[in-house]
Amino acid sequence: MAIVGVGTTKFKARWIDKTYYELAYDAAKLALSDARIGREDIDACVYGIYNDFFQRQYQPDAFVHDYIGMGLKPGVRVNTGGATGGSALRMGFSEVASGLYDTVLVLGVEKCNDCFNYEVHQHSPEVLRAILYTADMTYDNPAGRTAASGFALAVIAHIEKFGTPTERQMALVSVKNHRNATRNPVAQSPKLLTVEDVLSSRKIVDPFKFYDNCLYSEGASAVILASEEKAREITDCPIWITGLGASLDWVLPQNRPNIYEFQSSQIAARKAYEMAGIKDPLQELDLAEIHDAFTGTEIMAYEDCFFCPPGEGGRLIEEGVVEPEGKLPVNLSGGLLGCGHAVGATGIMQTIEVVLHLRGQAENRQRKNARVGLVQSIGGTLCSWTVCLILKREE
Amino acid sequence: MPPKTHARRQAPPRKAPARRTSAPARKRTDPHREWYKFFSEKYQIPVEQLKKEFQDELDGKNPVDAPLEIPDRMEVFFKYSYGKQSRFFRELRMHQQILGSKCPQCRRVYLPPRADCSLCYQPTSWVKLSGKGTVIACTIQHFSTSAFIKKVPFICAYIRLDGTDSLLMTNMEMDDPSRARPGMRVKAEFRKNRYGIITDFYFRPLTGGS
Ligand SMILES: [Zn+2]
Repeated sequence: MAIVGVGTTKFKARWIDKTYYELAYDAAKLALSDARIGREDIDACVYGIYNDFFQRQYQPDAFVHDYIGMGLKPGVRVNTGGATGGSALRMGFSEVASGLYDTVLVLGVEKCNDCFNYEVHQHSPEVLRAILYTADMTYDNPAGRTAASGFALAVIAHIEKFGTPTERQMALVSVKNHRNATRNPVAQSPKLLTVEDVLSSRKIVDPFKFYDNCLYSEGASAVILASEEKAREITDCPIWITGLGASLDWVLPQNRPNIYEFQSSQIAARKAYEMAGIKDPLQELDLAEIHDAFTGTEIMAYEDCFFCPPGEGGRLIEEGVVEPEGKLPVNLSGGLLGCGHAVGATGIMQTIEVVLHLRGQAENRQRKNARVGLVQSIGGTLCSWTVCLILKREE
Repeated sequence: MPPKTHARRQAPPRKAPARRTSAPARKRTDPHREWYKFFSEKYQIPVEQLKKEFQDELDGKNPVDAPLEIPDRMEVFFKYSYGKQSRFFRELRMHQQILGSKCPQCRRVYLPPRADCSLCYQPTSWVKLSGKGTVIACTIQHFSTSAFIKKVPFICAYIRLDGTDSLLMTNMEMDDPSRARPGMRVKAEFRKNRYGIITDFYFRPLTGGS
């Protein structure tokens, strides 16, 4: 199975001049044009759209399907929180791998910043309110926690267990990803920050400061998947999906044996590596796009994706292993911190980033001789869902 | 359209009153009054807050092809059932008692309670808990959702109650929130007004050891 076409809009705080289906149209048009095929060549569609409140529309996928001219073709929507993009890819993969279809469009879109709190004259608290409807409404939502505090609690439990990540290590991740974003034309938050800038930014939820958190973004991203035979017809430069792993943990983290590691991430990574025949990810991967909604969780992901033993993730950022010139660059796109987090589109944007590097089209951020890359897409309360994909270029 | 004076609330509900010559006409009536009234009443947004966002648009200051914004609100009312967890919330409200649920097979005690053990597929039975527990992880919220933004800073914590095998997402209250730490011993405190919801109780540090 191969990715034969990619397209993404810019990630922005707000696309005030477009609705969610108009944004989706832009991504579909870019992906079709990249693959040099037409909408009539698509057999079926998978939509990654996370929050119905964001779109101000239940079942928004049907309206996207209509607007991008896919009427009467099969279409289905996937929603697994922050992992929605990764899960949409997994659904598309299954549809092609089963032999059901030859060509599937996987499109993610999100527009969060139409949510607005009139009282405090800001978008964010209302965006957060919409998000918190996806926490357990009976037991979790009433405490006033946020997505950030859920992950902050996991990071605090990790610090309690291993002594890391330190606030400085977390700040280094923020500096890296914002700097990487300066070389990505679709990024929302390209910035040259110092560790001090991050450490002194305003507190959001301990231990996270402003620059430890990703932004809310609006955007749409699409890829076209094709069976091997079809892929060879369409393109000379197919990017193969050689590994895929997924897991959904107890969504009430209350029931997990501990909260200092994300077992869904470990399982998804292990399955993807097994399928792709990868034994030592640090040696064999050329780049990784990790779901860095928060700096601390990027560091936890180094461990949960087996780049290093448990508790040593902080060392990888300190030693520069995950920097652009390091052994395994992580989030050359800028990640969620620098490029942005347009939830349903995010996992697809990350996938497109890896595709561009494997094709040698990543311009001034190109990882030299990139052959194999990892995409990690996570979501839900304390990383309930993880999807991992391994992408490989033609030898 | 001729400027109208303020049509005040005591006016008869159906028709706007005739213009009152006696009313002091110091201010010209807002020509967009009906627009503001419509959305303000429909979505319970104060007119002053709407004005902050929409005055320019209504005054025709935006180009004809510029994006047009409009207020909206999604809302559904509920009278929902707690199902097989009902007793847990009734005991909270009526007896200030926290119950866990215990699996007869694996002996696991759930809190939040569940009437069925998800691992053994067996019905659980209720067990009384002391309300004492240990903080597993805690953090201070300096920012939150619309529903909580006025309450910051406050503490969110995962607490393991004694005699349970799971964690509870809950709030802690203490004089100096910055002193909240994992490992701290805590005890549930019930609020004076209880509603049969999970926030009928919160936690305070146990003083004088556990
Ligand atoms: Zn059991």
